Amino acid sequence: MEELAVVGKPVTRVDAEEKVTGQTVYGYDLVLPNMLYGKALFSTRPHAIIKRINTERAKNYPGVQAVITGADAPWIHGETIKDTPFLAQGKVRYVGEPVAAVAAVDEDTAQAAVALIEVEYEDLPAYFSPEEASKPGARAIHEDYPEYHKADFIVTSPLPNVCEHFKLRTGDVEQGFRKSDLILEQSFRVPAIQHAAMEPHSAHAMVDDSGKLTVWVPNDAPFRVRTETAEALGLPPEKIRYINPYQGGGFGSKGGLKVERIAIALAYHTKGLPVRVKFNRQETFVSTSTRHGAIVRIKSGVKSDGELVAREITIYWDAGAYSEKSPTVCIRGSLPSPGPYRIPQVKVDGYAVYTNKPVAGAFRGYGIPQAAWACEQHMDDLAKRLRMDPLEFRLKNIFVDGDVAYWGEQLHNVGLKETLLKATEGIGWGKTEKLDPKGFKIGKGFACIAKPTRTPTTSNASVLVDSQGKVTILAGTVEIGQGCSTMLSQVAAEELGIPIENTRMHPLDTDVIPFDSSTTSSRSTFHMGNAVRHAAIHAREQLAEIASGILEAPQEELRFSDGKIFLDNDPQHALTIGEVIRRQLGPDGVVRGNGSYTYELGKDVDPQTGHSDHASAFYMYATQAAEVAVDEETGRVRLLRVVAAHDVGKAINPLNCVAQVEGGLAMGIGAALHEELVVDDHGRVRNSSFLDYHLVTSLDMPEMKTIIVECPTPDGPYGAKGLGEPGLAPTPAAIGNAVANALGIRIYDLPLTPERVYWAIQAATD
Amino acid sequence: MHTKIQIRLNGKMQTLTVPPFRLLLDLLRDEIGLTGTKEGCGTGDCGACTVLLNGKPVNSCLVLSGELEGADIVTIEGLKIGPYLHPVQQAFVQEGGAQCGYCTPGILMMTKALLDENINPTEEEIRFALSGNLCRCTGYAKIIQAVQTAAAELRRSYEEFPSSQRRGGCATNKMPRSH
Repeated sequence: MEELAVVGKPVTRVDAEEKVTGQTVYGYDLVLPNMLYGKALFSTRPHAIIKRINTERAKNYPGVQAVITGADAPWIHGETIKDTPFLAQGKVRYVGEPVAAVAAVDEDTAQAAVALIEVEYEDLPAYFSPEEASKPGARAIHEDYPEYHKADFIVTSPLPNVCEHFKLRTGDVEQGFRKSDLILEQSFRVPAIQHAAMEPHSAHAMVDDSGKLTVWVPNDAPFRVRTETAEALGLPPEKIRYINPYQGGGFGSKGGLKVERIAIALAYHTKGLPVRVKFNRQETFVSTSTRHGAIVRIKSGVKSDGELVAREITIYWDAGAYSEKSPTVCIRGSLPSPGPYRIPQVKVDGYAVYTNKPVAGAFRGYGIPQAAWACEQHMDDLAKRLRMDPLEFRLKNIFVDGDVAYWGEQLHNVGLKETLLKATEGIGWGKTEKLDPKGFKIGKGFACIAKPTRTPTTSNASVLVDSQGKVTILAGTVEIGQGCSTMLSQVAAEELGIPIENTRMHPLDTDVIPFDSSTTSSRSTFHMGNAVRHAAIHAREQLAEIASGILEAPQEELRFSDGKIFLDNDPQHALTIGEVIRRQLGPDGVVRGNGSYTYELGKDVDPQTGHSDHASAFYMYATQAAEVAVDEETGRVRLLRVVAAHDVGKAINPLNCVAQVEGGLAMGIGAALHEELVVDDHGRVRNSSFLDYHLVTSLDMPEMKTIIVECPTPDGPYGAKGLGEPGLAPTPAAIGNAVANALGIRIYDLPLTPERVYWAIQAATD
Repeated sequence: MHTKIQIRLNGKMQTLTVPPFRLLLDLLRDEIGLTGTKEGCGTGDCGACTVLLNGKPVNSCLVLSGELEGADIVTIEGLKIGPYLHPVQQAFVQEGGAQCGYCTPGILMMTKALLDENINPTEEEIRFALSGNLCRCTGYAKIIQAVQTAAAELRRSYEEFPSSQRRGGCATNKMPRSH
C-alpha cells in the first residue's frame, strides 16, 4: 500500500476550535423564532391506573397555549416492540413516566401550569426486580404484550413480563459438565447506571401547514428515529424531517424517542409554532434511559489442565418499564456473554424483563460490560481453583485466528491475544514491585472482552468538491464527541489528496443527507468510513477523467496530492483541483462523488439456537489491567494504574483512539467504584443529581496507559474497525479481579463502594 | 418586578433590565444570547456554567442577577485575544482536551482562573482546581495535559513580555471591545 498522508496521523480535531470558543450550538442551546416552551408532568407512582386527569386549571393559566394528555397524543412507539405511549395511556408503569405536557410562552409559565394538573391514581402492585417480575404468577406490567407489534426476531417466553428471551444452544452442556474435572457456579449483579452526558436532553418540534413535522434534536440515529416516528404517527417518512444540532455527549441515551415524543406531541397542539422541551438534569436521570441492571448466573466445567468444556449462563436484564432497546441489548449482550473463549458446550438464556423502574436502553458497551463483570471474574476464580495462573488459563482458551466461536462463526483477524499479552505486560502481571503499605493491600487484575457490532447495517455518503477545491462531506454520522467528523475528514482528504483544512462536514439533516443506519454500536469508522472513502474515490475518478483530458495523460498515471493533480514525472504542470473543476464545469461547478457501504455477509442470529455464521461485521477485542490498593480499614479501593490494550484494526487517528479509550476508562472506573442509580422500594430514583450520583472527577483518575493494537480487518477502511464502546467494557471486571487479588476475597456485586468492600472484608474475617 | 443593572461583560459595559431572581446563567444564555456558557445541572454540581465574576470562577447557575450591579463578567466568548485563540484555548485544541465539548467552556474558564492565580501549578493542583468540573467524555488526562501545556506557554510568554503578567496575562483585561 502507498504511504498514507492523513490517515493514521494524530490530526487535531476539526471541531476543536469552535468548541473551545463556545461557538458550537448544541441542542440545548438552540432557539427558534416564536418558539413555545414545553414542560411535562411525570408519574409519581411506579405502577398505577390513571383514574382521572384534570387539566382545567392548567389550561386557564395565563400564557398557556396547550395542555395535553395521552388522549391528545394517542400514539405508541418502539424500535422493536411497540409498547411505549407518547404520553401515558390509562396507566403508568414507572415513577418518571410522562403523563401530561404543557406548552406556554415561557419556561416559568409552563412549569407553573404543570403544577396545576391534577392526576388521580389507583395503585397496582409493582415489581422492582427482574427475578420477581418474571416469576410464574407475577402480574403483567404490560397486559397487552401478546398483541403488541413486534420485530420478527423477538422471541417471547411463557414467563411473565419477559419482553425478549435470547437462547444460545451449542452442544450439550449437561454432558459437558459430566465430563469436567471441576465445576464452578456463581452469580453476579450489576446495578443500573445512567449515561450522564453533560448536555441534558432536549428537543424542538414544529408541524407546518402542509403537515410536515420537523424535529431538531441531537439524536444519535436520525434516520432510525425518523422511521420510528413515522410508524408511530402513521406518516410517510418524507413528511418528517430530523435536524441534528451538536450533541453534548450521549453514550447511547440520545437515541429513540424520549424527550422528542413530548415535543412532537405538543407540536400538534401549538398551531404551527415550534415548541422546545428541555429536560433538566433530574428529568434526564429518571425519564430518558439507563444502562440495564443485570443478574448473571454463570456455571462452568473445566478439565484439570484448564481446558474449558462447558458454560451455562442465565442473565436477567432489567428492562425497566418499556422495551426501548432491551430486546437487542439482550440478544447482543447475551450472545458473547460466555466470553472470548473456545468452549464446545454452551447454553445461554438471556431474559429482558419488564419492571416498574426507569426505562433501560442502549448504553455504550451494549450488554458487554455486565456480562464481562461476571465472566471475567468467574474466569479468575476458575483459575484459582485449578491452581493455574489466570493469564495462562486464558491463553489456553482464548479466541485466536481461525477459531469457530460458540455461536458458529469462524473468526478472522483476531487481535485479542496481543491485547492480553500487552496489557498484562504493561501492568507487570506476575511481578511484585512493592510491598503492601501499612493498612493497604495491593493487587492486580485484568479482563478481556470481544464485542460485536450491529449487523447488517448501511451507510451512504456524498462528497462535494467545489471549484475552489473545498470539499463538503455529507454523512449521516452524528458527532457525539467521538471524533467522527475528524475521522471522516481524514478519509476524504486522504483519497482526494487535499489538506484536511479544505474539508468540512455538512450539518446533519434527514432531508439532505443520505441514509445512515445509526451512530451506535461503534459502527461508524467501519461503515461510514467505507462509505465516505467510496464517495471520495468516486469524486476522484471524475476529477481524474477531466484532468486527463487537460493534461493529455492517462487517468491511471495521475497523482492527487496537496490539493493538486499531476503526472508523477511532471509535477511542475500540476493543476489544482479547483482549476480542474473550473476548466470543465465553470466557476460554479461541483463534482459530486457518492459512496455506499453495507456489510453484505451479515446474518441475523437464529432465534432458536443463537447461531449465525456472520453475526457481526467485525469484532472489537480488548484487554484491560488494573492495579489497586485497598484500604483494609475503610474498604476504599484506590486505583493506582490502568493499562488498556485495544485492537482497533487500524488507528485512523491515533490521538482520538487514545482519547476514546481514556474516556471509556473513566466511565468504566465510575461503574466499577461508585456509580449506581438507586431506586427505592417505591420506585423512586434517590440520586438523580450530580451531588448524589457520583461521576469520576479529575481527582479520581489514575495513571492510564493506552496501547493501540492494529490487527487489520480487510473489509474496513484501511483495515480499521470500531473502538467507541470497548473502552469501558472490561474495566470493572479488571478492577474486581485486582481487588480479589489484593484481598483474597471475591465481591460479586457492583459497585465496589468502600461500604461493600468493608463488609466483604468483615465477612471474610469473621 | 425588574431591576436595572450595569455590568461589564467580556470587557464591554452593558445596562440591563432584568428580574433580580434571574440566574446569571439564564441571563447570559436567554437574555443576552451568549450560549457558550453551558447548563449541565442547574444546581452547582457540574461546573459546565463556570464564568469569571470579578476575576473569580463561579457557577453562573448559582448567581442571581440582582447581585450583579457593577460586576465584571468574563465568559468563554470573551476569552479570545482579538482574532487569536487564548493560550488556554490553543492548548485544548492541540492536546485534544475537548471531545463532545459541552463541559469545555466551563473547564476553560476554570483553567483561566487557575492560571491567573498560579502560573506554575503542579498536576495535583490542576486536578484539584478542576475537580468541580465534570467531564463524561475524556477521562481528564488530555484536559490536564492541556492545562500544563497552556501554563508552559503562558510562562514562556511572560518571560518574553513581562508586562503582560501584571494585567492577568490575559486577554480579557486587555481587549475591552472584543464584542
